Amino acid sequence: MLHKVKVTLFNLLLLFFSFITVFPFVWMLVSSFKSNSEIVKIDGSFWPEHFSLSNYLNVQENFHFMTMFFNTLLIATVVTVCIIYTSSIVGFVLSKYKFKGRDQLFGLILATMMIPWAVTIIPKYDMMMKFGWIDSYAALIVPSLVSGFGIFLMRQNIMTIPDEVIEAARIDGASEYYIFHRIIMPMSRNAISSIAIFQFLWVWEDYLWPYLVINTDTKQMISVGLAMFNGQYSTDYGGLFAATAISIIPVIIVYIIFQKRFMEGIAGASVKG
Amino acid sequence: MMKKLLSSFLVLSMIFVLAACSGGDKSVSGLKKDDKPDKGMKVIGDHVKFDPNKLVNDGKPISIELWTWFGKEVFQKQADEYQKIYPNVKIKVVNQPWEDYWKKLPLQLKGKDGPAMFNVHNSYHSNIINFMAPYDIPVDALNQDYIGVQPHVIDNKVYYFDYGINTGMFYYNKDMWKEAGLTDADIPTTWDQFRQVAKKLTKRDADGKLVQAGFNLNGDGYKAMIAGLGYQKGELLFKEDGKTVNFDNPTTVENTQMLLDLYNKDKVGSPDFGDDSTKSFGNGQTAMVYKWGWMQGELKNNYPKIQWGVFRTPTPTNDVPFAYDRYNGESTPGINKNAAKEQQAVAQDFLKFMLAGNDFVKDFSFATGTFPAKKSLANDPDVLANPTNKIIAPNIERYIWPGAFPSAIETVSDKVFQDIFYNKVNIKDAIKSGQEQMEKDMSNSDFTSVESKYKFFSER
Amino acid sequence: METIKGRNNIGVKADVKHKNRNIFTLKNIVITLLLVYFAVFLIYPIGMAFVGSFYNWNPLNGTFDFNGIKNYIDVLGDKLFWTSMSNTMIFSIIVIVCRILVGLLLALALFSKLARFKTAFRTIYYMPTITPLVAVSFVWVWLYNPQFGLINDLLGVDINWLKNKDTALGSVMFMTTWKDFGYATIIYLASLMSLPDDCFEAADIDGASGWNKFWYITWPLLKPTTILVAVTSLITYLQSYIQILVMTQGGPGTSTYTISYLIFDEAFVNYKFGTASAMSVILFIFISLLTLISFKLTKERS
Repeated sequence: MLHKVKVTLFNLLLLFFSFITVFPFVWMLVSSFKSNSEIVKIDGSFWPEHFSLSNYLNVQENFHFMTMFFNTLLIATVVTVCIIYTSSIVGFVLSKYKFKGRDQLFGLILATMMIPWAVTIIPKYDMMMKFGWIDSYAALIVPSLVSGFGIFLMRQNIMTIPDEVIEAARIDGASEYYIFHRIIMPMSRNAISSIAIFQFLWVWEDYLWPYLVINTDTKQMISVGLAMFNGQYSTDYGGLFAATAISIIPVIIVYIIFQKRFMEGIAGASVKG
Repeated sequence: MMKKLLSSFLVLSMIFVLAACSGGDKSVSGLKKDDKPDKGMKVIGDHVKFDPNKLVNDGKPISIELWTWFGKEVFQKQADEYQKIYPNVKIKVVNQPWEDYWKKLPLQLKGKDGPAMFNVHNSYHSNIINFMAPYDIPVDALNQDYIGVQPHVIDNKVYYFDYGINTGMFYYNKDMWKEAGLTDADIPTTWDQFRQVAKKLTKRDADGKLVQAGFNLNGDGYKAMIAGLGYQKGELLFKEDGKTVNFDNPTTVENTQMLLDLYNKDKVGSPDFGDDSTKSFGNGQTAMVYKWGWMQGELKNNYPKIQWGVFRTPTPTNDVPFAYDRYNGESTPGINKNAAKEQQAVAQDFLKFMLAGNDFVKDFSFATGTFPAKKSLANDPDVLANPTNKIIAPNIERYIWPGAFPSAIETVSDKVFQDIFYNKVNIKDAIKSGQEQMEKDMSNSDFTSVESKYKFFSER
Repeated sequence: METIKGRNNIGVKADVKHKNRNIFTLKNIVITLLLVYFAVFLIYPIGMAFVGSFYNWNPLNGTFDFNGIKNYIDVLGDKLFWTSMSNTMIFSIIVIVCRILVGLLLALALFSKLARFKTAFRTIYYMPTITPLVAVSFVWVWLYNPQFGLINDLLGVDINWLKNKDTALGSVMFMTTWKDFGYATIIYLASLMSLPDDCFEAADIDGASGWNKFWYITWPLLKPTTILVAVTSLITYLQSYIQILVMTQGGPGTSTYTISYLIFDEAFVNYKFGTASAMSVILFIFISLLTLISFKLTKERS
């Protein structure tokens, strides 16, 4: 009996924390069905008096919101895939080959993680202008093809793969490329999925760089689009709530669908080395 | 199965990305070739002329961008009409919010893919002037059609000029005015009267919580007012050298104290009520705000239900002041000298189209609450009937122009406002550090004040 | 760097000799490409920023004049720079501590045998972390709104959270903790699950109390995780910018300026690329030092 009470209380506490975690989302979602005048009303109520979908319909009309959503999905996917590949192959070379300056190179890669964006952003912007990449996706993809974090994670992971596996393949006459693609990559599935999750999220919420390099509305990323929408329609709270909901809800749905794999990925990647 | 799907999705996205990587949006698809130079139309304009009967870009399809932070629909209307005459031209009007606009535009102009045309605000003169191409219109013709072009002539060339003048005034909510038992006779002309009216327009609930502010300057109110209020007492915004800002002086302190007292002593508003005075007025929670002409367009577009009127900024006494307020010009678009030659040529032609006719200046003047500088509009009944113009017109000579001073003055004023009203910093200290910050931010500027050219300058 | 090298030596056992003398081996191609990439997108920009920090640099009017260490003198003598630095430090330290505390607490709770619906709770706790920062910053701006925000209603108070210098930075920190604690929870949870069971069993046999068990067994075992969370958080938070941009714009006055916000302001609003570069070089040195120190400290202790 006492145990039951304990369990209930304990879980109520967890529920309370869950409430704190989700109430901003719930409030936003509920408010997005209110009219503007109802939102700004002093001492208004939590639930909408008149349930209306017009905020959502207007967002689509005024703004290329879904376009931006798919742009971001696309760029995030492409960047993530590229980074997975570059991280794995560099991680493989760094962990399974010995050469002069290897440790220094790895040190350099680790050091890149400490470089604040503020240091490189001005010269990088300058470079994009010289390359003529402004307002093109090349500016979003090419400078982010290599990730220090990804390489670090992959190196730690591939190091745990026994050398015998590689040696055996070599004796069978497998080329280095075959070994990497057919043996190392499949064996690092866990690490790959955790990189995928983090990287996707980082691209998804990146603001500053796309803000600087992309100008056309229909090419813009969703974070920037949302901020622009706020600047442009700052008077239309209903629309803003709806727009924000649109930019958040799909991610949450995707997350809920994939959350099992997601957790396994993180668990697999957790703190090795 | 899953693997196949995934990989085909990846291949597809790669193709899409590669296609999208091919640079800026210069799409001319859907544009026809134009081979009819004779449009059968009359030449437009008095001295600045636009002759429609020709081919633009040799009739080949071309597309240009025009950037603005305001009045997209005004530009769009002009673009639509121009495109009707020249079906081979596409003018894409791109709107960016004010803050983003000034962060992105200068950097864009520096590259070769920037917009061929862009709306100009003269407080950002030094950031963009190096990227502007001179107008392909004789200066004499501009001078004959517009007042006030001369100050914008640089080495006998014009890069942009002011198509009209704009200033600040008070907007009031007519319904609240009536509800408080006020009539037109109660329109305040002095600050003391203003305080009394503001008190009557303030409402609180049973707990004493503010529910309607009589006056609200939160957001941009202080920075817009403080640069103009000094003139009422004959205090200039710049020191004698015309270069050093004159912010830290007893008049600024006094005026700031007056505004603070409205909140603290008269309790007609609060820094915490209605975060943004524009929205608060638009949402019917504030009775009076100080705004410039653009508020007219804002109210029309976003808050059509509000019944509003305007009155001239009150003065310390009923005597005629040194100046009622400062004014500033609203500028014509600029042309990007780094854009492709063909694009610049189209932009120049489109510019002539806008400046030769009356519609652009008129529409834009209404959208920004500006008194138009085009001579052919001086007696236009619509212009004269416009409420904000009715306020400015009778005393137009009593408004002073300090010149297109750098935006740093407004930006720093805003910090000073927050320090005093929110951080409770002592007024004198806040203004003193404001002066230092302004001097620092303007150290690279080559701005010189033109206050001494004011008609009543000697009255000081 | 010492630590990094030290670690590598342990892992170097995997030396694979390759026999073919072909220079187009996988290794050579990868290393060459990587070095080229680094040279273009890292070394060059960093060098440029470093050089630029000694110049009066305005890209708009083409100014690029050498002026020695004047930028550094200006920056170090600027009150706003130090305000921003101290705000950044306060922000980082408090948010890191809160993130670790809340994250660890909830991870322990979810790990406990008392917890039910673990997957559901886990999913919910991680939700803020996967939503874009720009979006949630806006949501919180509205939550904090004194007129129609929910927070004042819930707490029954009347505070202008983001416009009051005593609450503004704290409000942003609260939002950031809310957004980020889920990451710490998941990481802790993952490493709790991978801890060897026999440690706990031994403790159970000894009859150790819950607190003792945590303090003498779990906490030391979780140390590498804590370091990971702390260091990655430190690097992220020292560069925080978006929350400030969306929620306070550095205000009221200058009371929530962070160093990255200041750098962006200086570069892309005032176009003083020279002083902005000087600030970012200082920030870089600062971050490197802090990271090195934290690695050194953990190495000594372990």
